[in-house]
Amino acid sequence: MHPKLNIWSACRALSVRSRPIFHWPQQCTAAAQARSIWIDSPSTSQRFPDQNASNLHPFDVSPSAQEPAPSENDVALSQLQMAAYGLDPFDPEVEGHKFGMPSLPLPRDLHHKHRYDSVVVQLTKLLMRDGKLSKAQRDMAMILNYLRTSPPPKVSPLRPLLPGSPAPSQLPLDPVLYLTLAIDSVAPLVRMRAYKGMAGGGRSLEVPVPLEARQRRRTAFQWILDVVNKKPTKGSGRAMFPNRVAEEIVAVVEGRSGVWDKRQLMHKQGTAARANLNNPQLRKKGQ
Amino acid sequence: MSVPTTLRCLVRPSVPRHVPRQVAVVWAAPFSTTASLAANPPKKKASAQMASIRSGKKMQLGKFKKKAPGGRTGKSPLPGERKAVRKRIQLSNSNALPVPGLAELTSEYMADKVNAGTVVSLPGTVQDELRVIEAFKPTQYWGMFRNPSMLVRSETVDLIGRMQDSAEKKQTLKLVVSGDRLTGKSMLLLQGMAHGLLNEWIVINIPEAQELTTASTEYAPIPGTDPVQYMQNNYALKLVQAVRKANEKTLTRLTTAYSHPELPQNIPINSTLMQLANSAKEADSAWYVFHALWQELMAKGQGRPPILLTLDGLQHIMKVSDYRSAAYNPIHSHDLALVRLFTDCLAGNHQFPGGGAVLAATSRGNAPRVPSMELALSQRAAEQAGAEIPKHDPFFRDYDTRVEASLKKVQVLKVSGVSKLEARAVMEYWAASGVLRKTVDEATVTEKWTLGGHGVLGEMERASLLTMRP
Repeated sequence: MHPKLNIWSACRALSVRSRPIFHWPQQCTAAAQARSIWIDSPSTSQRFPDQNASNLHPFDVSPSAQEPAPSENDVALSQLQMAAYGLDPFDPEVEGHKFGMPSLPLPRDLHHKHRYDSVVVQLTKLLMRDGKLSKAQRDMAMILNYLRTSPPPKVSPLRPLLPGSPAPSQLPLDPVLYLTLAIDSVAPLVRMRAYKGMAGGGRSLEVPVPLEARQRRRTAFQWILDVVNKKPTKGSGRAMFPNRVAEEIVAVVEGRSGVWDKRQLMHKQGTAARANLNNPQLRKKGQ
Repeated sequence: MSVPTTLRCLVRPSVPRHVPRQVAVVWAAPFSTTASLAANPPKKKASAQMASIRSGKKMQLGKFKKKAPGGRTGKSPLPGERKAVRKRIQLSNSNALPVPGLAELTSEYMADKVNAGTVVSLPGTVQDELRVIEAFKPTQYWGMFRNPSMLVRSETVDLIGRMQDSAEKKQTLKLVVSGDRLTGKSMLLLQGMAHGLLNEWIVINIPEAQELTTASTEYAPIPGTDPVQYMQNNYALKLVQAVRKANEKTLTRLTTAYSHPELPQNIPINSTLMQLANSAKEADSAWYVFHALWQELMAKGQGRPPILLTLDGLQHIMKVSDYRSAAYNPIHSHDLALVRLFTDCLAGNHQFPGGGAVLAATSRGNAPRVPSMELALSQRAAEQAGAEIPKHDPFFRDYDTRVEASLKKVQVLKVSGVSKLEARAVMEYWAASGVLRKTVDEATVTEKWTLGGHGVLGEMERASLLTMRP
């Protein structure tokens, strides 16, 4: 019978052990987790300086000083004991992994090709010129840093952002959210599609077509870039283009940007042309 | 000739033919017409070929049309305005969360071994003084946090300890901070300066050595020097004013020991050094004022405080400069008087009366390769470590003896990555400021530490503070 299935071995495994059966390589993990701080936990502020003063100087903390390393004999003995208790001493969950095995399936951001937010990746590629992705990424990092350091936006009631958006004071510390909110708020819902000659007399038939989320973001960001490219430069250096983009994004959130008018115009055209959806020719084409 | 043609010759023309008259009469001296011709250049006659081209129409050869050249609209920025924007230093971000209970830097803080691996904030006065002497760099991430704070690392404690030792023994510490890119060499200089300012040292900082040697500031030979040395008056003026503002308290306390007849303003003996520094109002006399101030600081038996002399970007002053002499020969950097003063101090030729330190940092981002300096520093590092001392390359002939002589007595402080405990301290500060939105635990610290090339602080900052890492 396999030892794991033996009920007595399981009882033995539950018994009180006088000494540790296995030397856990991760000595300070528990302490570290106890000390770990969450940015929004209220206890952070009290705990932070104390740790610094008491625990965090490298001179008197050395693992070898605290406990002598176990000899090979001890390790072998503990492995034998584990085998006796019905546990696998070479289980990959236990042996050879300092931080344990990752839980599967892996979260999206652990894959190096998907490590950034999808909106940020899309907008970065729209920023890219001449195939220079690395430069575009640096520009995007600077845009996000600008948003992080600029004062909280004053949202205009005339140009409301997406419903359910957080308070403006919370936006700068989450620049990705700030950017996403700005883009999604001005993104148009439809685009106009022209069917040539279908309106009769050689005129084209304008029909509104709904857009996917990615398409909407792309349109909105292209509009923003159009505005940015028409702005005069204010200085030289690598931070200047990103600064202009970031200023326009702040202007969008504050309702000052001309991009809002473009969106409104597009929606107006869509509303006016929606009757064209019932055009018999179009229906015929659809069939 | 046919008859109709001959008959037509006899017919009187109904429309008189217009004969163009020569109207341009030039009244000028008969022997020279050049000037008047230049003033009224004769118009080119439209050739027959040109007349055949219809105006405004051109043959389109390519598939795509060329765009009309669009000129830049609006007012262009004033001279120096763009550079000011580029070099602007922001020390505070009001969006970041304040970190309460963070220790504030005191005069003894960084010398204490217990404080290694802690984050400490800079007091307001020191911030202002450091800003005046340009200790902050635009590439550092000061602008992301509420208050400028820095990590005290084991190298800091080491450096400050050596500085204190030399000040107590009235000796001069000569030290070069060297290390890989983004490891925090300039930051270490800043910490040294902050320590000096808090302990009432006289702090003189040359923030970018390249400003002295890339021929970007004016220079002139100093009369009566042999071999000729060159002064840089505009730079000296900037330097004296920075020294005056940063060390106001100490300079007001000290008095002059010598009379300085070469200065335009009469500074009697026993007037304050502040008065002497204040006399640098124009660039013309700035170098002489700086020289007089230096002589006063070097005066023995006057109870002078310790002096800290720092320079960032050592490679730039260890090569032949971009300046040219009157005979159009290249000028060696060590022939520039201000650079000479620094290298003399680094070589140990000046003994500071109150002790002090001469610190220089190499630069990895923007610096020329100087084989002599690299060799000298590796020799000094090997001497300190007790290892085999590297020798000259026998097949290389461009070694510079002046450079090697200036680096004979220096100590070398190698800066590399921080330990995990220090990394954890600084990451906890980032998280408490709300800039790093992650739990700081063993796994995160190790992740960023590894991504940052085993704790290279600048790389760790890029890995954790930038949302997207190019």
